[in-house]
Amino acid sequence: MTGFLSWRLLRTGAAGAAFLAVAALHAQDPDTLPTPSELKKMSLEELMDVKVSLVSRQSENLAQSPSSVQVISSDDIRRSGAINLADVLRLASNLQVARIDGRQWAVSARGQNASLSNKLLVMIDGRTLYTPLYAGVFWDAQHLPINEIDRVEVISGPGGTLWGSNAVNGVINIVTKSAENSQGAYASVAAGTFMKDLVSVRYGGRPSANVYYDVWARHVDQDGMELSGGKRADNGWGFDHGGFRMDWLTRATDRLTVTGSAYGGDLDQVAPGTIAIDGQYVLARWTRSLSEASEVVVQGFADRTARLIPRTFKEDLRTFDFDFSHRFPLTARSSITWGAGYRLSQDQVGNSAVLSFKPPYQDLQLFNLFAQDQILLWPERLRLTLGSKLEHNDYTGFEIMPSGRLAWTPGKSNTLWAAVSRAVRSPSRIDADFYFTVPTPTGGTQSLDGGPDFASEILTAYEAGWRVQPMANLTASVSAFYNVYDDLRSVEVTSPGHFEFMNGEEGEVRGVELSLGWQTLSWWQVRAGATALKEEFRVQSGHSDISSPGSQGNDPEAQYGLQSMMDLPYGFQLNAVARYVSELPTPVVPYYATVDLSVVWAWQHLEVTLSGFDLAEMRHAEFGPATANRQQVPRSFAARVTGRF
Amino acid sequence: MRPRTSAGKILVLLLLLAPALAFADAGPDREHRVKAVFLFNFAQFVDWPDSALGAPKEPLVVGILGGDPFESFLDEVVKGESVHDRPVVIKRFKRTEDIKACHVLFVSSGEESRLDGILASLKGRNILTVGESVDFNQRGGMVCFATESGKVRLKINLEAVQAAHLAVSSKLLRLADTSSPGAK
Repeated sequence: MTGFLSWRLLRTGAAGAAFLAVAALHAQDPDTLPTPSELKKMSLEELMDVKVSLVSRQSENLAQSPSSVQVISSDDIRRSGAINLADVLRLASNLQVARIDGRQWAVSARGQNASLSNKLLVMIDGRTLYTPLYAGVFWDAQHLPINEIDRVEVISGPGGTLWGSNAVNGVINIVTKSAENSQGAYASVAAGTFMKDLVSVRYGGRPSANVYYDVWARHVDQDGMELSGGKRADNGWGFDHGGFRMDWLTRATDRLTVTGSAYGGDLDQVAPGTIAIDGQYVLARWTRSLSEASEVVVQGFADRTARLIPRTFKEDLRTFDFDFSHRFPLTARSSITWGAGYRLSQDQVGNSAVLSFKPPYQDLQLFNLFAQDQILLWPERLRLTLGSKLEHNDYTGFEIMPSGRLAWTPGKSNTLWAAVSRAVRSPSRIDADFYFTVPTPTGGTQSLDGGPDFASEILTAYEAGWRVQPMANLTASVSAFYNVYDDLRSVEVTSPGHFEFMNGEEGEVRGVELSLGWQTLSWWQVRAGATALKEEFRVQSGHSDISSPGSQGNDPEAQYGLQSMMDLPYGFQLNAVARYVSELPTPVVPYYATVDLSVVWAWQHLEVTLSGFDLAEMRHAEFGPATANRQQVPRSFAARVTGRF
Repeated sequence: MRPRTSAGKILVLLLLLAPALAFADAGPDREHRVKAVFLFNFAQFVDWPDSALGAPKEPLVVGILGGDPFESFLDEVVKGESVHDRPVVIKRFKRTEDIKACHVLFVSSGEESRLDGILASLKGRNILTVGESVDFNQRGGMVCFATESGKVRLKINLEAVQAAHLAVSSKLLRLADTSSPGAK
């Protein structure tokens, strides 16, 4: 299998897709574009009925969807001044985001945040960033240029019914700008005291009436974090990322999107040498809207990502994924969405004497099938959404992830909803194939191994929420949840000095999430959010967990966020982001509050930005035990000049 | 150690796509074709004060300020057309100072950052301003193209239209959203 679906094939596929993109640029469909005389014959009413673009159904539905959703727009992102993708996620107050060191972030929703968080699904344009190594995301390899992002949709709460076994506590979908929205030339350069330098360029063109493309590249250098006392840690990094996107609107009802990218980074660490990361991916998606209520989406992607941590660890992962989904009205009151998917993950790990995965080469296959029915119990008032995913993985076989959601919309500006869902976190290689052995001073060894019988971790989630728009310029959303976890990962003794991963923990997490969007004046927009969280974990009967009390995650009980965006006269903008994160319990990380401020001046094609980040303190820690080496985020400044032509 | 770059890979990608730059344009997309015909229709469904129209047979001018998303399509639309015995002509302007005689003015979305200044300088003139940025009417524009459910919708800022002493026919008003521009 490894020989058949090899990197060579992936490269050939990528080249083929690029050729397809170029070939598509030649083609056009003259019949489908209306001529002046055809359009002039039409009445005003008929003109208004001409379909000019595909409907982005998902974004339209989000405002009414019966779940806890926050959307970060490209404008919110641009005005925040954020450079790193993981920092953009801080703008969603329903996420826990903590910077661990120069290259790593811990990101989670509804708690259980850790450096190896494993209950959050993250996608870019439907391409999962999941690594089957530990069921999480290597954030140090995710440096998509910020200006390529159209929006970030953050769903806190389970999404297993649609997205499968990694969508336990939340789903993040990063949507890049379509090539139509990336036309013309863009260039941006920046320099700063933490982010050291940045160059970002893009060019978008339209070779024929229905075909748009853009190409982009970015280079960033970042300095190391600070240690207490102000010394810089030797963990800075540099990252290159380049890519393209093509959107071919073959007909008014069809869109073919092809995107591809390559990236590479060098990340310093104290010892034993620089970490090297590189990767490539190509994705193609075809969308056809058959009618207002009916749509077919076919998508495939190939992705390779590799990392080399000298003398410690090496991984080369290839992912091939194919998905299909179809939405159609069954009756006037019932709309079905169903689909199927297949994923092959080929993981190759370079083992060391201390840390190893056995077997080092592993092919993992994932099959899934899902169906969901949205039933109008009372038209325009009461909607019931029932569905389930059936997934097959190589470790535990079949898993089922059903959910039921009820939404009551008493008026256009009010939605009350409640949901019950089951989600599972199926085993990853670290749970089953992992071996960690250290010699003891007495000549023996101590070990921590993956568990051969490790089962899936299971969540049963109860949620309810209210989304309201009391005034045209104010939207508010509040949701509450009660999550019950079973069979969480534990570390248990098999013989003296030898430990194994088992499913010996259980617990409950409850919390409330609040978000607010307020256009106070035509020139002043405010976003605000708050999240409160309470976690309780314990050892299941018949088990004895020896891992530390904070092993399930380390989360703040409260966090607040505020973003203010002002348009001032003479082309000035004043933007601010303020955040408060309460103390983390185990290990203790003190509470912190930060403020980012930026002044933007736009003049003709140019935009000049001066930013200050984390201004409240000289430096603050966000994660990790209180050692002398605890990494701290420094107060920093940056200047940026951007041109759009 | 300083970052090694993957510039080579990026270069290959860019080179693969560079040929695309060489291809010629094939006219505007569907959305701008429809919008172009709307612009022509505005000339028929709006009444200007006599003082703004000039002598009989003087042309009715549809102007485009900034980058032109319609290319030659708009010229084809108005070719040989006349409204109230006046030929319809297209004029393209780079700056507001260049705008002399003009009746309908499409403000390109590329002018968004300068929009407040543009609309302020047109104040008191009998020009129907048309745009396609989301907050065009909130910022004082008169007609805003919006896309809803994949179709072109019109939003009309009556206050601004009346301030410019223009009269929009009821036929057009009936199909447009005329709720106050501040409301979403």
